[in-house]
Amino acid sequence: MANTRFDPAGDADSRRAASRRTALVLSSIAVTFFAGVILAQYSGAPGVGIAVLGFAILGFLIVAIGRNVRK
Amino acid sequence: MSSIPHDHAGGHAHDEHAHHPGGIMRWITTTNHKDIGTLYLWFSFIMFLAGGCLALTIRTELFEPGLQIVDPEFFNSLTTLHGLIMIFGAIMPAAVGFANWQVPLMIGAPDMAFARMNNWSFWLLPFAVTLLFTSFFVPGGAAAGGWTLYAPLSVQAGMGMDLTIFAIHIMGASSIMGSINIITTILNLRAPGMTMMKMPLFVWTWLITAYLLIAVMPVLAGAVTMLLTDRHFGTSFFNAAGGGDPVMFQHIFWFFGHPEVYIMILPSFGIVSTIIPAFSRKPLFGYASMVYATSSIAILSFLVWAHHMFTVGMPAAGQLFFMYMTMLIAVPTGVKVFNWIATMWKGSMTFETPMLFAIGFVFLFTLGGFTGLVLAITPVDIQLQDTYYVVAHFHYVLVAGSLFAFFGGIYYWLPKWCGRMYNEAMGVWHFWLSMIFFNITFFPMHFLGLAGMPRRVPDYATQFTDWNMVASIGAFGFGLSQLLLLYNVVTCIRSGPPAPAKPWEGADTLEWTLPSPAPYHTFETPPHVH
Repeated sequence: MANTRFDPAGDADSRRAASRRTALVLSSIAVTFFAGVILAQYSGAPGVGIAVLGFAILGFLIVAIGRNVRK
Repeated sequence: MSSIPHDHAGGHAHDEHAHHPGGIMRWITTTNHKDIGTLYLWFSFIMFLAGGCLALTIRTELFEPGLQIVDPEFFNSLTTLHGLIMIFGAIMPAAVGFANWQVPLMIGAPDMAFARMNNWSFWLLPFAVTLLFTSFFVPGGAAAGGWTLYAPLSVQAGMGMDLTIFAIHIMGASSIMGSINIITTILNLRAPGMTMMKMPLFVWTWLITAYLLIAVMPVLAGAVTMLLTDRHFGTSFFNAAGGGDPVMFQHIFWFFGHPEVYIMILPSFGIVSTIIPAFSRKPLFGYASMVYATSSIAILSFLVWAHHMFTVGMPAAGQLFFMYMTMLIAVPTGVKVFNWIATMWKGSMTFETPMLFAIGFVFLFTLGGFTGLVLAITPVDIQLQDTYYVVAHFHYVLVAGSLFAFFGGIYYWLPKWCGRMYNEAMGVWHFWLSMIFFNITFFPMHFLGLAGMPRRVPDYATQFTDWNMVASIGAFGFGLSQLLLLYNVVTCIRSGPPAPAKPWEGADTLEWTLPSPAPYHTFETPPHVH
C-alpha cells in the first residue's frame, strides 16, 4: 500500500486516485487469500501450504494494523 | 429517519435533490451513507426477530424432554439457520449499519469513499438471506449440520446446503466490499487535523474489524467453495475416501471462525468505549492502550483457532499451544475492561439507557469471557466440548456482549439519526427486562453443560428438564422484551419530542456538532480538527 498515501489537503482527484489505489490493493489481497486457500490444497503437502498462507494472512494483518498504529 | 433536511452549513446550496428519487426508489438507489446505514440497521433488526423466532421454536421444543413440535432433522435446520441468520444477518449487518452512519460523521468525511459500492454491499444481503430462507422449502430442507458446516456431513447434505453455500458467498462479498469501503474512508477521507490517534475509538475498532474481514472472509469463501466442489465436481478436499481430510475443513473454517467472533465483538467494544466516557463525563482512560489492546486482540485472534478443535485428536503440543494462546488473549481484553472501569472511576455518572446497556455489557461480557477462559483449558474443554456450557459462553459474549452494546448504541445515537428523543422510561424497562430474562435464559445453561447435556439435540435425558424449562421461559421473556425496543424506536421516529444537537452532556465526538437530525449531506466542507 506504499503508493496509497493520502494528503488531506489534496484535491478531490488525488483523493479519488488514492482511494482507488487502496481499494485495488485490498481487493488484490482478498483475491490472493481466496485463491491461496484453494491452491494450498494442491501443493504437495496441504498442511504446509495452508500454514504458509496462514502466516501470510497474519503478516498482512500485523503490517496493516502496525502501520496505522504507528501514525 | 424519513426526513431529509439539507445541510447548507458548507456555504453553498444546491438543487441536486430536486432530481433525487423519492419513495422506494430512494432506498433502492441511495448512495448516501446515512440512508444505507438506516437500511442495514432495519435489515439487521428484522433478521434479529427472524432468528429469534427460530430460537423460540428451538426453546419450545426443548421446554420438555421428548419430541413435541418438530422432527429431529428440522430441529437441526433450526439450530443451523438460527446461527447463520444471527451471525451473518443480524450482528454483522448491524455493526456495518453503525459504521455507515457513524464513521463518516466521526472523522468529518462527507460520505463513504465508494458510495455506489456501499449500496451494492447492502442490497446483496436481502438476496442472500432470501436464499437461506428458501432453503427450508427445497427437497431435503435447509442445511442441518450446524452453522459450522463440518465435512463430511455437509458434503453429503441436500440442496439446502448449496443454497447456504451461495448465500455465504454473497454475504462474504458484501462484507469484503464493505470493509474495503470502510478502510479507504478512514485512511483517506479524514478531516484535516484528525490524526489516527485522535480518531474516536469506535472508528479504530471498525478499522481493525475491517482489516480482519479482508483477511478472513476470503478464507471462508475458499472453504465453502471447496465444499461445493467436493459436493458436485468430483474433488476430495474433505473426503477421506478420496484422499482428503475432513479435519482440514475444521482448521480452515475455524481459521476464519475465530477472528469472526472478534469481528462481531470489536465494533461493540468501540460503541461501549464511546458511551462510557460520555456518561461518566470523563475522557476514556488509556486511549492509546485501548488502541494497542484492540490491535493485539485482532492479531492474537489468528493464533487460537484450534481451541474449537481440542477433541479432534491433535497432538498434546498443539493443544498446549492453543491453550496458552487462548489464555493470552484474555490479557488485552482485560486491559480494555479495566480501562472502561477506570473511565467510570470518580466520574460524574448518570445512568440513561445507553449507559445502562454499556455497564450491562461490561459486566456480562466479562462473565462470558471468564467462561471462555474455563473452556480454554484443554482438559476441561474435552469434557465441555459440544455441551451447553459452550452455548452459555457464546451467548453471554454475543448477546449480552454484542447485542447489548448495539442496543446502547441505538439509544445513544437515535436522537442524532432521527432528531427526536426516545422514551427514557421505556428504554429503562427494555434494559432491565432484557437483563433479567437474558440471565434466566442463559445462566442455567452453564449448569446444563456441566451436568453433561450435549448441544444441538432435540431431546434430552430427563435430569436436564428443570433448567431447560427455566431457560425456555426466559427465552420467551427475552424475545417479548425486544418488542419494547421496536415500539420505542417507531414512536420516537413518528412523534418523539425534538432532540437537541447534543442531548448527552458528556458527548464530544464530531457528530454532536451537527444538528439533530443530521442533515442529509454533512461535512461537504471538511471541519478542521484541533
